Amino acid sequence: MARLILRVAPWLSVLAVALAWELFARSGAVTPFMLPKLTTVLARIWADAGSGDLAHNLGLTLYRALAGFAVAALAGIGLGFAVAYNRAARWLFDPLISVGFPMPKIAFLPIITLWLGFHDVSKISMVVFDAIFPVVTATLAATLAVERELLWSARNLGASERELLHEVVFPAALPQIMTGLQVALPIALIVCIVAEMKLGGVGLGGAMITASRFADSPGVFAGIVEIAIAGYVLVRLMARVRARLLAWHPETAAPASV
Amino acid sequence: MSMVESKEPPVKHQIVVEALSHTYRPARGREVLALEEVSLAIAPREFVALLGPSGCGKSTLLYLIGGFLPVERGAIRIEGAPVAGPGPDRGIVFQHFALFPWRTVRANVRYGLEKLALAREEQERRAQAFIELVGLKGFEESYPSQLSGGMKQRAALARTLAVDPKMLLMDEPFGALDAQTRSLMQAELYAIWQRTPKTVLFVTHDVQEAVRLAQRVVVMSARPGKIKATVDIALDRADPHIYRSPAFAEKVDEIWNLVRDEAIKAQ
Amino acid sequence: MKYLPLLLLALAWEAVVQLGLVSRDLLPSLTDVARAGWKLLREGELWQNGAASLYRGGAGLAAAIVVGAALGIAMAWWRAVDAFMGPLVEALYPMPKSALIPVTVLWLGFGDGSKILLIFLGCMLPVTLGAYNGTRSCEQALVWSARSLGAGRLRVLWDVVLPAALPEIANGVRTALALTFVLLVSSELIVARAGLGYLIGFLGEGGVYDAMFAVVLVVAFLGFFADRLYQRLVGRLLAWRA
Repeated sequence: MARLILRVAPWLSVLAVALAWELFARSGAVTPFMLPKLTTVLARIWADAGSGDLAHNLGLTLYRALAGFAVAALAGIGLGFAVAYNRAARWLFDPLISVGFPMPKIAFLPIITLWLGFHDVSKISMVVFDAIFPVVTATLAATLAVERELLWSARNLGASERELLHEVVFPAALPQIMTGLQVALPIALIVCIVAEMKLGGVGLGGAMITASRFADSPGVFAGIVEIAIAGYVLVRLMARVRARLLAWHPETAAPASV
Repeated sequence: MSMVESKEPPVKHQIVVEALSHTYRPARGREVLALEEVSLAIAPREFVALLGPSGCGKSTLLYLIGGFLPVERGAIRIEGAPVAGPGPDRGIVFQHFALFPWRTVRANVRYGLEKLALAREEQERRAQAFIELVGLKGFEESYPSQLSGGMKQRAALARTLAVDPKMLLMDEPFGALDAQTRSLMQAELYAIWQRTPKTVLFVTHDVQEAVRLAQRVVVMSARPGKIKATVDIALDRADPHIYRSPAFAEKVDEIWNLVRDEAIKAQ
Repeated sequence: MKYLPLLLLALAWEAVVQLGLVSRDLLPSLTDVARAGWKLLREGELWQNGAASLYRGGAGLAAAIVVGAALGIAMAWWRAVDAFMGPLVEALYPMPKSALIPVTVLWLGFGDGSKILLIFLGCMLPVTLGAYNGTRSCEQALVWSARSLGAGRLRVLWDVVLPAALPEIANGVRTALALTFVLLVSSELIVARAGLGYLIGFLGEGGVYDAMFAVVLVVAFLGFFADRLYQRLVGRLLAWRA
């Protein structure tokens, strides 16, 4: 019984906020335009789901964000390894990475649009450009930090250089690489939404900005709820994947803080 | 009638170190001379302890013999041939275990056997044998993060022993363990050495540990490391009370006096 | 020199355009961009829009830091607050903050207010997390020492826990700083009539690409220098951390 309460308890806060929303909206303290009732927003989501709009918009946004994320992940890990193992590459890329990291790379969206047009390619490219940085940084740091004694033990037991890379370096670096990926995923979503808002068209971002232009306030709020849920589910999935892949890691046993 | 006295055959040393010097060149900061003109010869099946204060280069010497660091000045010969990199003939055991955290105990112990390209059943059989030898039966499927320090070191030992190395290079292997576990592990290591024909080169800074285990204790000076003295330990280890005997205490004292000045210099 | 590769990249850029390898329409030369940027600076457009952006970013971030840190500390210090707010923070963290752009516009229009609100809402969470983790990780031994020396609970919070939590809070603020730039530029690109992001969009739509490139670079490097400056400041403030 106690376990059931513990599992349900976190949702109580969310429920409380939902209730507060509904009551506040109904109270008349704000206009329905500023804060539509939660029930109105949920009804709108339901309608969109029924008409296929939700699937269409959400699907496109997820496709672009995840495609960009996948490219950023693969290229980022590859680049991270290459830079770690190659002095010249490290010399070339270190300043690029450290200067590029804190830049608001979304500012480059108009340039990407100039070069690649208004279609999915630009949106996905923007996502890749933004999301690749945390992946490269994490992979590079992790690879350079692999304990010397792990490598020496493996060589002592007869491993070749090539075997070292995928039998020792990669698993040893995996925890940190996963963290980099977990940072990159929300970035991919944020950037994709912004790109969609700027470039318009279909997708959750485009739908939301169109709704705001038409003063369609339930539409705007519906979009927020939809993307919030999508983001939450994706992050949860990532955490599950991490727990599976890193079952051996000591921290997996320890509970995570907020 | 034979006019020639029977002589013992000349000992062919297994590990020969000649005038070895080593300098550390960190990416930032000054160069450090870690070892200076060290010469040492170790016979097969000997149990030799390398003893000295922190920073005296004893671990460096071990790593050079293990082939993890390149020989720049001087020479190291293993069974007549110069050292050419690490290999399963010189098994290494580290202070912090260096177990692969993503592999279970069984998978760790199997690692070297996989590299020997043995048949899968043979790998499993041997791995299981060594896991049981070090007393970890029942923990085959545990991950290192689930084990205590002593158990981790047993697993590391099993992993190294599984490939049947002729020589064991041990770098303060019990340094990270608590006193009771350390004591138990020392006894177990000694028992294993007695049963199998291996040469052991054991690095430690603990004088008692060195006298307990080794036949010969090589005392090193503070940095730059040189060999200060070599002391033979001729104790009857079959006697269960030997470690409380005056003979033991005298040996410990003798060696501690040699080390003390160096330890002070190393501060 | 550590940044030599960047210089080489700049030279390569100029060379590639001058040699005609890339069309000038797609990639104005570095010298063209510099000239256009200088012109914008002289004519005041860069200053005006820059000031607008800085004002919005600064105000939003300041509010986010104050409220976010207070929330994080409260959550770490009082279990009741943690029990209620914790799940909310966890649920809201993965939401892309850029999704708030349309609603802030709905509420406050195209001006400063919507941007400040956006940045406030969007940048609060990283600070909250940093404050929460920092406060929690304060060594029990430090707290007990202070209590045994006679300090009350709130005093301990102010004298011991907060300074101990500062490094993590500083980290959270660093993330919030970067996020401020992202949200600022994003919202100005889409729904603004002033500001650096707006200027980029305006120049782009007008086809004045060399000036557009100039402002993009200005914004990008502003973000970079802000981060560097912040790290210097924090290094000074937290010098006791060695």
